[in-house]
Amino acid sequence: MSEYLNEEMKKLKEEMMGLKEQLKSVMGRERERRRGIYIDVGDRVHDYIGDVMDGVAEGIHGELEKSIFIGPRGVRILRRKEPHVKGDEVELSFPKVAEVMSALGHEHRLRILDELMSGGKYINELQEKLSEITTSTLSSHLKVLEEAGLVVQEKVRGRYLVTMPGRTAYKMARRVTRFLERRNRE
Amino acid sequence: MIWQNYQLGNTISKASEAMTLWQTEKGIIKIGKNTLAIPIMLSDKERGYVFHGNGKFLLDTIAETEEGAIGKPVEKEINKLFLLLGDTRQIQKQLTKANEEDLSKMGYQSQQEFVERAEDLCDQFFKKKGVHNHQCFGEHRGFIFIFQNQTSKLDILIAKGSKLVYMAMGIIFVSNENKVVLKSASEVVCAGNGKSVIIKK
Repeated sequence: MSEYLNEEMKKLKEEMMGLKEQLKSVMGRERERRRGIYIDVGDRVHDYIGDVMDGVAEGIHGELEKSIFIGPRGVRILRRKEPHVKGDEVELSFPKVAEVMSALGHEHRLRILDELMSGGKYINELQEKLSEITTSTLSSHLKVLEEAGLVVQEKVRGRYLVTMPGRTAYKMARRVTRFLERRNRE
Repeated sequence: MIWQNYQLGNTISKASEAMTLWQTEKGIIKIGKNTLAIPIMLSDKERGYVFHGNGKFLLDTIAETEEGAIGKPVEKEINKLFLLLGDTRQIQKQLTKANEEDLSKMGYQSQQEFVERAEDLCDQFFKKKGVHNHQCFGEHRGFIFIFQNQTSKLDILIAKGSKLVYMAMGIIFVSNENKVVLKSASEVVCAGNGKSVIIKK
């Protein structure tokens, strides 16, 4: 794999040298065509560009070697820098998880999250949709969701929005629902 | 015209009523009654004010993405000196002359003390930040607010219509209608028109 890449890089370098030569001749013709003052920067700039390109090519080469694995089924790009940790290997943050679970642990709050999933809403819009919940109860539920970081309220307009953790929690609730439904069918 | 040549006006005024200096869908800046104000003059024209009083600053530095809302609102009490540059015609109408008592309520022994502190803030912004061009803050060109934060560094809010840029400790927030760029300590978010890019650090 490394030999293959080295060969490709060598070819690229050769192509670049060829392009550099072509550029020189084009620049020469352009110089003759133009009128006015022309400052010849000499070959140093071309050499410098060449060095930079070589450096970039080596960098790319290194990154390619690190991140691409060509296996029997084709190319796989490794996106993760850190090794993947399985769910059951993650250490639980009990207080934080308990706070989120507690915030989710009420039917009204799950309904509120469900309403907010379609976009930010003002409290009166939520009130219209969830008419079975009184305004004061709705406010206190929203406060619980806010404190758990599942919902955020805009200070100026006053809309309530679901946060990233809120969406994750909602997805988790849906997964639990699917699991329970499947079990009931069985 | 160079901002370093600014001068503070001769008269110290106070807000006769609480007033809103700036308001959009994203943020509000309000000052309370009796907030002290001194004009910033450039080429004999009033270009802004230095205020000191009790005020409130709200800004929804939130980016809405398909992954959920990112960021949280900024809510601050303004009790230090701050600077406003921009069209001051509406503000002038709501100011009256301040007396010694008004100054002492804000903790100043004399007019000179307030002037000196206002000059310090202006120097910190105009001289150290190298503000040279007046074109940016002329009439009808929006507002610039400069606040001192806890570390005595400057938080800056630039606003024109629905466009705004807010730079403060650990946060940069740029917004134009429904397009938002939010840079915080943990991520950079670009969101707009229902699409978003989130780069975690």
